[in-house]
Amino acid sequence: MKKFLSVILLSLTLLFLLTPVVFAAEEAAAETPAEGKMGYYAMAVLACGLAIGLAAFGTGIGQGIGLSKAAEGVARNPGASGKITTTLIIGLAMIESLCIYALVVALIILFVKPFGF
Amino acid sequence: MHEAPLFFHISGIPSYVTYSWVAMIFMLSVAIVVRLSLKLVPTGVQNVVEVIAEFFLNLTESSIGHMGQHFFPLIATIGTYILVCNFLGLIPGFEAPTSNINTNASMAIPVFLATHYYGVKIHGFGYIKHFVGPMRSIFALPLMVLMFVIEAIGHVARPLTLSVRLFGNMTAKHMILLILGILVPWIIPTAILGLGVLVSIIQAFVFALLTTLYLAGAVEEAH
Repeated sequence: MKKFLSVILLSLTLLFLLTPVVFAAEEAAAETPAEGKMGYYAMAVLACGLAIGLAAFGTGIGQGIGLSKAAEGVARNPGASGKITTTLIIGLAMIESLCIYALVVALIILFVKPFGF
Repeated sequence: MHEAPLFFHISGIPSYVTYSWVAMIFMLSVAIVVRLSLKLVPTGVQNVVEVIAEFFLNLTESSIGHMGQHFFPLIATIGTYILVCNFLGLIPGFEAPTSNINTNASMAIPVFLATHYYGVKIHGFGYIKHFVGPMRSIFALPLMVLMFVIEAIGHVARPLTLSVRLFGNMTAKHMILLILGILVPWIIPTAILGLGVLVSIIQAFVFALLTTLYLAGAVEEAH
């Protein structure tokens, strides 16, 4: 199990480290301003996709664990289901807001374009 | 992305300001109507207003304790105003003022300042004890300094997260509706509208709840 996990993590790390090299190799041919723009745009879009993907991954796991404990609590004590539901909803909103921060960063990169183009 | 023209538009004034005025006029008119026809046994609109007021009163009194009634106007106003603003975003042709970060910051920064003002007012200079941590002796000075730095960063993050959470939720809802409306019209955007109603209510409640908790943390008896 440990070996499998470390293999997966290693391959993901290699993938992340090699992506800029791939793009740099493409642009090293002819660096006109238009192609420089394309390189920036490609990296920006990749960054936004990765940001949301990873954020949703973490949020899914976090909310899933919270939800499972809440369901267990209601199963043990159905009379307290009102309070447990309220606490669950508040907790889910808190965890969701972490994913929303990643979404806001992605929106800023795509629409506010802080580096010119 | 080209969006539809807004219903109210005063040139020279940003649209989110105009719609925050719309929300204010709505809240004021409901309040005046209820006040002028106040009965001991509530009927009609007074019922709804009493439910909302009682909900926020419960929230403040259970969290803050003896000073709950003092903070009730601030928290109830913030909660109801954010609720009305979020709902304005669901109406076609209108825009939610809370989907712009200026409206949210205009509410989060006074809350932040209010926590420190009331903390200093109730505790005097002992307010610094809230930042320093559980161990208080001259030998634990490095630990106290470290705790102070960490608590200060956490405090500065509060207005930031309060405003960005609300802004992100409202803008994300608007964008999802826009994009799904282009891709798959009719049924799925209606389901997202239902989710949008839920998110609007929950985010208004979460803002008011967090404000209550921050104020309770500032005015509680020091341990």
